[in-house]
Amino acid sequence: MTSLKAVSVAFEMVTPYGWGTDSCWEGLLSGTSAIRRIDRFSTSLMQTDNAATVPYLKPSRDESLVMQMLTPLLEKIAPEIPSDTFVILATTTGEIEFLQRSVINMEHEAIKSRPDHLLNKIMLLAGTCGSGMVVSAACVSSSAAVSRAASMIRNKERDSILVVACDSVSEFVTAGFSSLMALDRHMAKPFDKNRGGLSLGEAAGFMLLMSEERAVREKRDVLGEIAGWGLTNDANHITGPSKDGSGLSNAVLNAMKSAGISEKEIGCISAHGTGTLYNDSMEMKAIKKVFGNNPVPVYSVKGGTGHTMGAAGLLEIIIGFETLNKKIVPPTVNLRDTDREAEDWVFPESQSFYGNVTLSTNSGFGGINSALVLKAFES
Amino acid sequence: MIVITGIGWLTRQEYGCLISKLNKPHEGFGSLYSYFKHKSYFSCPVKNFSRFDAISKMTCFSAALALKDAGISYSVKHKQDIGIYGANKAGCLDSNLNYFQDYISSGRILARGNLFIYTLPSIPLAEASIHFGLSGPLLHMSFHEKRIPCLLSFAGDSITGGETPSILAISAEENDAICFVLKQEADISPGKNVGLQKVISATGNTYTFDEMINAINGIV
Repeated sequence: MTSLKAVSVAFEMVTPYGWGTDSCWEGLLSGTSAIRRIDRFSTSLMQTDNAATVPYLKPSRDESLVMQMLTPLLEKIAPEIPSDTFVILATTTGEIEFLQRSVINMEHEAIKSRPDHLLNKIMLLAGTCGSGMVVSAACVSSSAAVSRAASMIRNKERDSILVVACDSVSEFVTAGFSSLMALDRHMAKPFDKNRGGLSLGEAAGFMLLMSEERAVREKRDVLGEIAGWGLTNDANHITGPSKDGSGLSNAVLNAMKSAGISEKEIGCISAHGTGTLYNDSMEMKAIKKVFGNNPVPVYSVKGGTGHTMGAAGLLEIIIGFETLNKKIVPPTVNLRDTDREAEDWVFPESQSFYGNVTLSTNSGFGGINSALVLKAFES
Repeated sequence: MIVITGIGWLTRQEYGCLISKLNKPHEGFGSLYSYFKHKSYFSCPVKNFSRFDAISKMTCFSAALALKDAGISYSVKHKQDIGIYGANKAGCLDSNLNYFQDYISSGRILARGNLFIYTLPSIPLAEASIHFGLSGPLLHMSFHEKRIPCLLSFAGDSITGGETPSILAISAEENDAICFVLKQEADISPGKNVGLQKVISATGNTYTFDEMINAINGIV
């Protein structure tokens, strides 16, 4: 059985830089951060006052923050989504406000916070009559969702899949990350000597994936190809990554094997780059295990967008496609004094990009790692 | 062809292994950890087991039984390229409530990290992967309907697609859990196993846990 190429025919997102992929791309290239002061709950006892929140979102009893982000995005694209499309939702906390309110106000609506309820709303908005699923793999959720979608297309199980990813900045997650002392007091500074932790962020987005055959048949614009993927687990520690980076390097090797390419073809790498001491160090070790002493430009968006949790992978895949199509490697925002391990690999300014292949990596709690090979589309 | 080489399950009253036709009563979840250590279902102590949430404990119990049923020995130090996929009804709703109620009742002063980590539905799978040394893909999924058949089908496709040679597929709730060990038929030595498609068909029309166990028992 011949396998099929999984290609992206549409994507869009809202990020802390504002509505649309262009605003995120331009924000990153400008080198300014979208991390700002949190104004939707008290942060007086949190580890930080800051997070990368989406401008003008307001907590509301009528609509959750993630639905405020998703509704305009999906209403606009719905007419272009085939009704037989399978939907995969990736999120870590989804509509967590329902659970927060149920605890604070002793209401009985916690069950509404379940991601399967959110999936139903998304399928209604998208106008699909097919089925769907929720993928949860901590901060790897949306890159795992994209890899599942690509796998289903390659195996000819489906030929049209909508991946939707979302997460919002809430008291629930901010208090949790504060308790783990994982947050930078000011702003995340990925790969910097003085990095002190991550900054939380929020985002929502979608990617419509099709088999190449269906995309061509329906005369869709092809924006890029999900060419290979690898998922592994450190099996090491519940919150900390494996110190030697072997889990992530195995995910990268698996992704290259899945794409049928060698490391020499990869032109740049979108790293998870959270800004925590352990993550960034582990990632550089993993990358060097694969690429040896041949530096490839590496960047992290999280100094700009914050760590958008379950949406991070999709946001970074979309920026990866922009990198391929615009031939520019974005800067690593907030990088001032590059850590010794990242010298010659990670840069505070944008660079020209030569090539047709990029790699996007993510890692999450529980030790899960993902790597995706993205290709500029060649018909 | 994908086959299932081990199936472990437990409820509040009983536990069992379906391939080796083991079925035994137990004295309750409170004493089950000590009992499993005594019976060598856990080949070494499960680190931090007492702080695990209920779903993590059920995940580990069922995985231990399934690995035993499949004749797979394990060691925390020697990792094996085995994936772990999970799907359950409520995800981590109870753990989310436990964490946030604790934070609110303590005056919103400081949340507890050891409750926060269980607010991700993939964490019970991660706890099991650490103890059993499973370094393949790890994913939690929720499906619209037919949870067990969909979970098994996804796991089978991942093996067929070359993503990992073997997967533990687990559905763990607070009161019952079941774990399947999936492999390529070509990779196993002769012994008892059951075809994946037969199990998917058998579980497709069952509605309760007992019905599912009986249906699988009927084809092994």
